Amino acid sequence: MSRDQILANLRTSLNANRPWLLNEASRAPHEPPPFVLPPENDLAAQFAAELTKLEGKAYRVPNADEALAVIDRLIEETQASSIISWDLDQIGLPGLAELLTARGITLADTTARGEERKARLQALEPIPLCISGVELAIAESGSLLLRHGPGKPRIASLLAPCHIAIVFAHQLVRGLGEALSLLAQRYGDEVFGPTSNLTFITGPSRTADIEMTLSLGIHGPPQIHVIIVEG
Amino acid sequence: MSQTIAFYDRVDHALHDNSLQTALQRATTRFISNRAGAIGALSDADRLRDQARAIRAYALAHLDELLPKLAANVEARGGHVCWASDGEEARRYIIELAQARGVRSIVKSKSMASEEIHLNEALEHAGFEVVETDLGEYIIQLAGETPSHIIAPAIHKTREQVSELFVKHLGMTPTTEVPPMIRTARQALRQRFLQADMGISGVNFGVADSGAIVIVENEGNARLSTTVPRIHVAIMGIERIVARMIDLGVMLQVLARSATGQKLSVYTSLISGPARPGEADGPEEFHLVLLDNGRSRILGGHYAESLLCIRCGACLNACPVYQAIGGHAYGGVYSGPIGAILTPLLQPDLPDAYLLPQASSLCGACQEVCPVRIAIPDMLLRHRADAVKAGKVNPIEKLAIAGYTMTMTHPAIYNASGKAARFFSRIAARKGRFRHLPPPLHLWTKQRDFPAPPPKSFRELWAERNKQR
Ligand code: SF4
Repeated sequence: MSRDQILANLRTSLNANRPWLLNEASRAPHEPPPFVLPPENDLAAQFAAELTKLEGKAYRVPNADEALAVIDRLIEETQASSIISWDLDQIGLPGLAELLTARGITLADTTARGEERKARLQALEPIPLCISGVELAIAESGSLLLRHGPGKPRIASLLAPCHIAIVFAHQLVRGLGEALSLLAQRYGDEVFGPTSNLTFITGPSRTADIEMTLSLGIHGPPQIHVIIVEG
Repeated sequence: MSQTIAFYDRVDHALHDNSLQTALQRATTRFISNRAGAIGALSDADRLRDQARAIRAYALAHLDELLPKLAANVEARGGHVCWASDGEEARRYIIELAQARGVRSIVKSKSMASEEIHLNEALEHAGFEVVETDLGEYIIQLAGETPSHIIAPAIHKTREQVSELFVKHLGMTPTTEVPPMIRTARQALRQRFLQADMGISGVNFGVADSGAIVIVENEGNARLSTTVPRIHVAIMGIERIVARMIDLGVMLQVLARSATGQKLSVYTSLISGPARPGEADGPEEFHLVLLDNGRSRILGGHYAESLLCIRCGACLNACPVYQAIGGHAYGGVYSGPIGAILTPLLQPDLPDAYLLPQASSLCGACQEVCPVRIAIPDMLLRHRADAVKAGKVNPIEKLAIAGYTMTMTHPAIYNASGKAARFFSRIAARKGRFRHLPPPLHLWTKQRDFPAPPPKSFRELWAERNKQR
């Protein structure tokens, strides 16, 4: 069996080199720093500044109503009549359901598995807008962490050309190390219990593959709008 | 195939390709300054790099425990694991899987491991339609070429060349503007994703304690490849592992900054098994192929340190030789300084792989930038010594070394040869440099200038100085 052969080779090899490797491994602590840049006071401001540098849009709003106003504007700009979304209670923005009803927006059925998979995804393809919440947001890199799962489909941050993410101020952390520790604290061994997928998103989809010219939206959303609700 | 052309011919070709030279210069300069800015901004870059090295060394030291742990955790989450000793086993597993599941169309996101085992050729040969979805990879697939850089596989193509390809293959209206090319590629590839039955990805890190794989990317093609098709196959070199999820707090920080100067890549996906029952989307099946292909043996030898590599590409950009010749000239899948170490180990049947370690001035720039501080120059020297031991030396070189030994151990010959060289140089050198030397030394000046000796030797100057006192 290849498994046994590979493991046997590894053991033989490690007989020779394990002491050296262990010595290298002991030269620095492994625990990641909670953050890696000089700390700033205002995490929302830092997040917004970082995302803006990446050509994402950040909105700092004092309450849910202002957040709804931003969403309303984006619905109009994208002329969406249907959206790809997380379950609204997973996003947790008060008044969102009412706004969507008032604008006549339908929530697309995001079930895309089994026999229907290809047909459903093909049907979702033309939809111009998607909305998600987040698990956490990282200030020093302008990153979102999405922990997917029931009611939180991956395609709601991926398929459409415009992605809106709702972040509440208490979800902001300073750095990646802090975000990972918090995940472990919250879910322990069950981080991947209800889902097979966690995704960090840092700005709009980009490529520099043609002559090193920066271009947005080659595969993922060219537009990302992050609304930080601070109230 | 580029492999049948000798290394020196490929180098020659690269040095005379003007558009390649422009592209290389533009790309490497940009990568170098982005990286320097991002690493320089860190509160404690040295410590973070020490940590990254320690974490990777720990993982390698425990590879015999961590790999089974990773596999067990993947299986506990409903995924399948294939242990592949070599490329042949990996290819067979994937082809048989695709056949058994009635797969027709396959989308791929960038994976060096799959390049290493020539997976695309094998899949196409078996009758599957395979599309590379990373824009750079897609462009070179349309052009029928191979990647020239780990991070930017198509840097050798100009926008005019890309435009021509898109006009020819995708029916694009001719243009030299980049945005319409991006839109054309997005539309064409999106349809490929929606029709695909299988997505194949690489792996940046396997995480043993949570049974997850990590994929970093900027475009979103890896997210689509691992979300849209019903089957996801990930191919991972067995050394690409970390023990704990928390280790990513160090590794992702140094990877993104070293590769492109970003704080984090646009998308970092952590994937553990197939979609769970209550999830609306995601793949129904997940297969992890653990590829050995020589790595388990390399771990026991004096090139083990090269297995710490996280494939960031920083050493390529920093290397003056890579800057001059680009990735294709190396002939193997991995190019640049780390490629010169890995290719002779992972692709030993390439006829001139043993020459790659010669393509270095041993300036040390690679080790300087490496996020896990791999002693690349030391290993290049070791490769050279090993090649000599194995008798892989050019006969002219052997003669030259014998002559050199003779000269250096006999002062009279040494003096006479110096005089002869200086006499000759007065006749033949231009501006203190030889552009062309007579055979067999023309092999040196074909790709480099050679400084002419000064009019007087050190020994002569020394003697004069002592007389004047
Ligand atoms: S050797 Fe170091 S610098 Fe080069 S690709 Fe590997 S990790 Fe990056």
